[in-house]
Amino acid sequence: MSAPLISVQGLSRIYRTGRIDVAALRQIDLVIREGEFVAIVGPSGSGKTTLMNILGCLDRPTNGHYVLAGTAVADLDDNELARLRSREIGFIFQSYNLLPRMSALENVAAPLIYQGMGRRDREARARAALERLGLGDRLAHEPTELSGGEQQRVAIARALVTEPAILLADEPTGNLDSASGAEVIELLHELHRSGRTIVLITHDGDVAQAAERQVHVRDGRVAA
Amino acid sequence: MSAFELVRLALSRLRSSRLRAALTMLGVIIGVASVVALVSVGEGTTRGITTQLRSLGTNLLVVNPGTAVSGPNAGEPGSATTLTLDDAVALAKIAGVAAVAPELATQQPVIAGAKHTTTIIIGTTAAHAQVRNETIWQGSFLTPVTDALGLRVAVLGATTATNLGLGANAVGTDIRIGGIPFRVIGILQAKGGSSLLNQDDQVIVPVAAVRSQFVGGTSVRTIGVSVASVNQMGVVAAAITTTLRSRHGILAGRPDDFVISNQAQLLGAVSSVSTLLAVLLAGIASISLVVGGIGIMNIMLVSVRERTREIGIRKAIGARSRDILLQFLVEALTLSLLGGAIGIGIGLLLSAGIGQIAGWGFVFDPLTLLVAAGFSVAVGVLFGVWPARQAALLDPIAALRYE
Repeated sequence: MSAPLISVQGLSRIYRTGRIDVAALRQIDLVIREGEFVAIVGPSGSGKTTLMNILGCLDRPTNGHYVLAGTAVADLDDNELARLRSREIGFIFQSYNLLPRMSALENVAAPLIYQGMGRRDREARARAALERLGLGDRLAHEPTELSGGEQQRVAIARALVTEPAILLADEPTGNLDSASGAEVIELLHELHRSGRTIVLITHDGDVAQAAERQVHVRDGRVAA
Repeated sequence: MSAFELVRLALSRLRSSRLRAALTMLGVIIGVASVVALVSVGEGTTRGITTQLRSLGTNLLVVNPGTAVSGPNAGEPGSATTLTLDDAVALAKIAGVAAVAPELATQQPVIAGAKHTTTIIIGTTAAHAQVRNETIWQGSFLTPVTDALGLRVAVLGATTATNLGLGANAVGTDIRIGGIPFRVIGILQAKGGSSLLNQDDQVIVPVAAVRSQFVGGTSVRTIGVSVASVNQMGVVAAAITTTLRSRHGILAGRPDDFVISNQAQLLGAVSSVSTLLAVLLAGIASISLVVGGIGIMNIMLVSVRERTREIGIRKAIGARSRDILLQFLVEALTLSLLGGAIGIGIGLLLSAGIGQIAGWGFVFDPLTLLVAAGFSVAVGVLFGVWPARQAALLDPIAALRYE
């Protein structure tokens, strides 16, 4: 068994709205090892998005421990969280979230700017990432000039370009037709086979079938 | 993120919305251009006055008659007729006085051939050239001989000569002043200066000629006194006061019936007023800079709102708050600096144009440009920081979900 990449213990996230505390996550324990392909499955309102935000270092837990690639996340400040996102995490969103009015190449190169990489290196790596995903002929296209499936592939290239420890995919097929969705799932499979750690967040049980392990979340808890 | 990356990002952003960028910059452009142009106008006028001051001679004292207490012009400054040619002779004897020139003046039509003009005829003496710092361009000035004989000879101011169509070879021609023939013996070098106080439109003739032909009596309009050294101005002025009071038989305790003015002081005051005016104008112009800055802030705030999602994405892919802050700040700075640069260009063109029309030429003070550039940076930072902070402090999760 490989080392745990993500280790979550007794994690809760409580939102304070006025006087009422709403617990989105309660006492979550979760371990994800390097090279795993895990699906976090649950209906809307189950807390899976909150969990993804915390796993993706966009949010901090109210209580509990979260260790990502050897770093205890709970005590980090905003800058250190940004650094972790930059180095260790690649996000794939349902709505692609590409930067508008920028070419595919610039989009994929963008994360490398925040690592302080020079322009030449950035573009070389972004080009390589796009070519690997079969988008070598779309480098200069802006998001509005690409189909949904192509946009999501650009987004995956952007997530991969920093060589992150973990890929976090939030409903990656949600906005796609079934053919493009199947392509994206196949792509995730390939990435998994090549050794990537992937966490797939979805409400769709069929999509979750793609993963080798499923974690069901309901009412803020991990269901057995 | 390096400064270079930030500037490039800002520029590509501004390129993608050119019209908006141009409109946003307009406020700063107008503000900076008007500050640059108005400061240069102020300096131009000050410089013009200073030049005139020098051409008048810094060691000139002008004695004018006081205010008449009776008669048709009672109450008007200089209306008294107490100053005489004999006073002028007496003043010449005071120690420290280099030259004294009495002046009589009358407005008369002047005719040369088919051309004519109406100008001021000054009756004075040979000393006038020294007292009023006049230099001759063609021919000669009045001489003690012309003065003594009261010859009907005339020295023309440069503008007057031009108006009469008289050039370099006009010396020796005859003109008519108030219908009486005079012979041109010289033409003065142009002094230049503003139309406000044109010293080149005049005809200088011997004092005796004016008295015999135009105005009777012995009173004079002005006595110009050239002091040997600038340091003696005060002493000489006091001596003139004493001499004139005793000559006019003024009892102790009674006011003077004449006024001594120091030309240098007078023009110094005028020039400080014009400087004040320039500062005032620049102050008003800088209000438009502030308005321009608010325009930038407004657009940046709208921009932060519009690009909330972009900010969320950037944070998700590893941007720190500082990166976002700098991105928006540099964008605001780029707008204001670019606007400032264009404004400086337009301001310089304007001041060159105004200088050309007004006649003081292109006045250029590097300090103004430095101040204008500094102002635009300050505007960019001042009005860019707040929107940039708003952007930087956005919660990435909320920003990503923002529609």
